[in-house]
Amino acid sequence: MKYFNLRNRTILGALVRTDFKIRYQGSFLGYAWSLLRPLLVFAVLYVVFVYIFPLGKGVEHFPTYLLTGIIFWNYFVESTVMGLTSVVARGDLLRKVNLPRYLLVFSSALSALVNFGFGFIVLTIFALLDGIMPNLGWLLIVPIVCELALFSIGISLLLSSLYVRYRDVSYIWEVFIQMGFYASAIIFPLSSVAVSMQKWFFINPIVQIIQDARYVLATNTSATIWSTQGVDWLIKLAPFLIITIIFILGVFTFRSRSKTFAEEI
Amino acid sequence: MSENKVAIEIKNIHKEFVLLHNKNSTLKQAAVNIFKKGPKTIYKALDGVSFNINKGDFFGIIGRNGSGKSTLLKLIAGIYEPTAGNIYVYGGLTPFIELGVGFNPELSGRDNVYLNGAMLGFTRKQMSAMYDEIVDFAEIGPFMDQKLKNYSSGMQIRLAFSIAIKADNDILMFDEVLAVGDANFQEKCIKQFERLRHSGKTVVLVTHNMVAIKQFCNRALLLNSGRIDFIGEPKEVINRYEKLNRLQDATSK
Repeated sequence: MKYFNLRNRTILGALVRTDFKIRYQGSFLGYAWSLLRPLLVFAVLYVVFVYIFPLGKGVEHFPTYLLTGIIFWNYFVESTVMGLTSVVARGDLLRKVNLPRYLLVFSSALSALVNFGFGFIVLTIFALLDGIMPNLGWLLIVPIVCELALFSIGISLLLSSLYVRYRDVSYIWEVFIQMGFYASAIIFPLSSVAVSMQKWFFINPIVQIIQDARYVLATNTSATIWSTQGVDWLIKLAPFLIITIIFILGVFTFRSRSKTFAEEI
Repeated sequence: MSENKVAIEIKNIHKEFVLLHNKNSTLKQAAVNIFKKGPKTIYKALDGVSFNINKGDFFGIIGRNGSGKSTLLKLIAGIYEPTAGNIYVYGGLTPFIELGVGFNPELSGRDNVYLNGAMLGFTRKQMSAMYDEIVDFAEIGPFMDQKLKNYSSGMQIRLAFSIAIKADNDILMFDEVLAVGDANFQEKCIKQFERLRHSGKTVVLVTHNMVAIKQFCNRALLLNSGRIDFIGEPKEVINRYEKLNRLQDATSK
């Protein structure tokens, strides 16, 4: 496949490697921060939401439930925020070499995936402390991550190509993310939402993804789109339809606009 | 038919840039101006250019500032899309629009060699094969593990130039990249260009340096306001160029 031939894989590798090498430049602990940072952040969240504001009272394995939501949400934010600016940020490259433009967006998604990996390691530690034994069933996380990556890449393709001309996009997206954080039931359990309201949450692909991930990693009492939406197939299909539509829209917008990126940036 | 002799085929290339006078850089402006077309000018950077570059040519492109040289190079490199016309490139092409593309000051010299190489389309394996020669040529062996930001500007440009000169591909393109560094290093650069000339590789050189055109090129092209003014023997092309310069200087006075 020409999209991932040797040359493009080399470029992608170089972009991600550079991102990673630069990230903790000049810090004393260096790469150790990629594990230390999620560890400390999770510890704070753990203390706040398990002891101070116990929003998840009654939810089985709430610490793991909470952190699962956090790492998936962080992946989404990181990959779309970096993806959004990826084309403009690397404008110097686009004006001087013939680089397949979509690689810039992919490299953001991949960099975010590397961080997701570190987050996942830390999550596993917390899960063990929480009394959960990782098992083969955890492999179900792979298709769920793929779905999230597809959604993030679709959004990044769309936003990054618009961002080349309209810099407002980044501010609008910031607000969206802020809204999304509360609309995606990340720091509170979905079960605390009225049952009649839950279906509106599930239309949001992020909720469907995170609830599925929680079901796999934390507790099979976690409400998923499959267990709660009965025969309402329209609702069940909605998140997948949204992801597909956004991805196709993103690919087409990016393809038509990317021809003039080098001139416009 | 001619494919085995021709390296680059350029057929009736047009390139227009749309210059928007009030570019909608915010959504509000775009929304307000959605029905109102802002004034725009179309700038014709290239206006019907056709020519071939043969395999093994050392091909010079000259012209005054704004004549379309760099636009032409970027079109051949695939950085810009032509408004009309076709470009066919037969073989691998490495363009050097600028030296050291992608260089990051926070990375070591070694990392930057591989990074720059990747941006130019070389795999890590290919770069490893060239690596020692590049470092030797740049004469900065002991500093390769230092961060690029600690290099002197002379060292940085030598490293970037060495990657360009040691890059191994069928077709190489250079935009105003000739000789850098001190007299000693410049001499080495000249020698490398001489070697390239005899290597059977195709080289495209954009420059204002007429001495270099005379010394290296077997064919040259003179661009004037986006059109081909003359194509042929370097000596004649330079004569035409100097005549053109005198003419335009006289009319502008």
